[in-house]
Amino acid sequence: MKKNKMSVTSKQHAAGWAFLAPATLLIVIMSFYPIIQAVFTSLKTGSSANMKWAEPLLYNYTRMFKDKLFMRSVGNTFLYLLIEVPIMLILAILLAQILNNKDLKLKGFFRTCVFLPCATSLVSYSLIFKSLFATNGLINSILVNLGILETNYNFLGNAKSAKVIIIIALIWRWTGYNMVFFLAGLQNIEYSVYEAAKIDGASSWKTFWNITVPLLRPTIVMTMIMSINGTLQLFDESVNLTNGGPANATITMSHYIYNNSFGQGVANFGYASAMSFFVFILVAILAFINMKVGDKRD
Amino acid sequence: MKRKVLSVLLVAAMTASMVAGCGTGKGSGSSAGGDTQSAENPTAGEDEHTLSVSAWDKSFNIPALEAAAKDYQENVDPDFKLNINEVSQSSDIENSITLAGSAGDYSTLTDIVLFQDHWIQKYVADYPDAFQDVNDADINWDDFAEEKLSFSTIDDKHYGVPVDNGTVVAAYRIDLLEEAGHSIDELKGCTWDKFIEIGEDVYNKTGKYLLSMDGDGNDLVYMMLQAEGESQFKDGKPNIVENDKLVKIVEIIDEMVQKNVLYLANDWNDYTDQTILGDMVAGVINGNWIIPTIEKVEANSGKWEITTMPTIEGGDGYASNGGASLYVTANCQNKELAEKFLAYTFGGSQTTYDAALKNGGVITTCISAGKSDVYNEGVEYFNNTPIYAEIVEMGSHVKPVEQSEYHYTCREKVAAAIINITQNGADVKDALQDAEDQLNFEMGN
Repeated sequence: MKKNKMSVTSKQHAAGWAFLAPATLLIVIMSFYPIIQAVFTSLKTGSSANMKWAEPLLYNYTRMFKDKLFMRSVGNTFLYLLIEVPIMLILAILLAQILNNKDLKLKGFFRTCVFLPCATSLVSYSLIFKSLFATNGLINSILVNLGILETNYNFLGNAKSAKVIIIIALIWRWTGYNMVFFLAGLQNIEYSVYEAAKIDGASSWKTFWNITVPLLRPTIVMTMIMSINGTLQLFDESVNLTNGGPANATITMSHYIYNNSFGQGVANFGYASAMSFFVFILVAILAFINMKVGDKRD
Repeated sequence: MKRKVLSVLLVAAMTASMVAGCGTGKGSGSSAGGDTQSAENPTAGEDEHTLSVSAWDKSFNIPALEAAAKDYQENVDPDFKLNINEVSQSSDIENSITLAGSAGDYSTLTDIVLFQDHWIQKYVADYPDAFQDVNDADINWDDFAEEKLSFSTIDDKHYGVPVDNGTVVAAYRIDLLEEAGHSIDELKGCTWDKFIEIGEDVYNKTGKYLLSMDGDGNDLVYMMLQAEGESQFKDGKPNIVENDKLVKIVEIIDEMVQKNVLYLANDWNDYTDQTILGDMVAGVINGNWIIPTIEKVEANSGKWEITTMPTIEGGDGYASNGGASLYVTANCQNKELAEKFLAYTFGGSQTTYDAALKNGGVITTCISAGKSDVYNEGVEYFNNTPIYAEIVEMGSHVKPVEQSEYHYTCREKVAAAIINITQNGADVKDALQDAEDQLNFEMGN
């Protein structure tokens, strides 16, 4: 057989490339090309039909720092991030710890229950929270009937309570999701370690902080990065639950970007792209810090 | 070898199914027009007797278009067909125009589109070749309310043919007013101070607010200001903080909220579903297209009446809010037919407008068409008063005010300022200054 001059390894290489090629090509066309185009778009202004290079070139990038509304959306997003992520992760670890108990009955049932919110679509759960907390909604009826509130309270019409509700909704939706990662992490910790601790006389609180948490560090770092990333891109809740209101008090960065690009009659693609890159840089920086802090390898 | 053949077949099958999957996405436009069933491609009329149009409301503007199609079929061209592409809400049409304009490809649009008048100025500015003017259409423009045409006339060119009417009505529950010891006559063109007085009585006696509005898209400022003959814009620039009337109006709104006369809803659905359908209010002030929403509460039939809105100094307030027109897109190949059709029907045909009113509750801004018997019939829901004729009459008094392509941006900023004032007790001038700054920022001033 003289036809095949290729050696076995180079043949394997060729096959490898052949298998990689379609996916790579699709990623390049569907992701990388638009990203590069977005860089150019972010340097342009004008109506979407007739975009011109901005004057000065970085106009869109300087504009966003003077834009009070964008700055507020950044503030809101960080507020959600700072309050929601720690509460959610601590709850998730505690739940995982409880559900990992060897003596617990109906473990599968409880695990399913906690994970179930993640199976609901973002839009539908937002709409359900919206109707729960509506002025004539269920929560108001309960609180009024219990005598806690005198008259129905407009939860979503008030900036502070609307933010609290977004945070509650986020915790409800994502705690179970993170718990699953912690559960998986806990399975990897040898039971003998706990046994040894017990023999040494460590209380369960000490065991938790000195054994469970350090051994779960990789999982904690991963869930942190995912949660931070997810919260920075928070969109569905802001759109569906409060629609950014009242008076844009609860708007998030992604929602504002969306409003600028696909909001009614706006089509301000240049500015929206510039803001997207701002979010991109934020995510990159936060993930970097997180990895540096979380990475305790010698 | 067999395996190879099999894998090639599999790949082919997958590719084919992918292509087929993408293909089914097309041609989803439904046909709702008269007897038109050929909705294969909703975007273009296939022959010289067919036009396509996009509209969104099955109980409002689609019956009006069907009425027009039937009128034209019966009286002009029996072969005429109107393919109606029904979308679920008005913003779908607006988004499709932005999309087509951004892509520079208008072939996705129908021959004619219906959308809110406030948008046309922005569209013509942003996408100059998206719409064809209808100057050549045989329409007596003087027969239409001046204010309505002031939107769709740009550089003395007519772009739109009016369909419905945005004239503001102040509708009140006469039974609740009576319970509070007042009557609708007291409210006719009263001062806002008087309005607040009555509103307090109504809230204390019946527990209902005299007025509600969508707090996010607060149209009240625009309507109250137009009743004074003023605009939020002056010579293309925002006129907010220096506008004494506007400052006064915002103060009135704040007072109304504090005294439980006005309820600001969280969003549009909250406004319609909770405050109006949920029976929270004793009055509604908005464009008359809100009437079908009011009428959905059948239990209150016969308990409503309409009148003019209050003003600061007293006297009948006339304003207009919303309303849509038909616009011919660049994709229309048969402009002549489009113009003929529009001129014959919405240009002033009694048959079209009477049927549109009966089937969809669409009220015209065409002055002569508003004088027919159908318009002068009493409406049972409104205590058998002839509200339609009244509305057309009121519409002829509305003064045109300066319009801007930044109408909705302005509305959003001022609405945000109002929420800031009513909820957080912000200073009126400061909050409005903030709104003006932000508006200037977005306008690039």
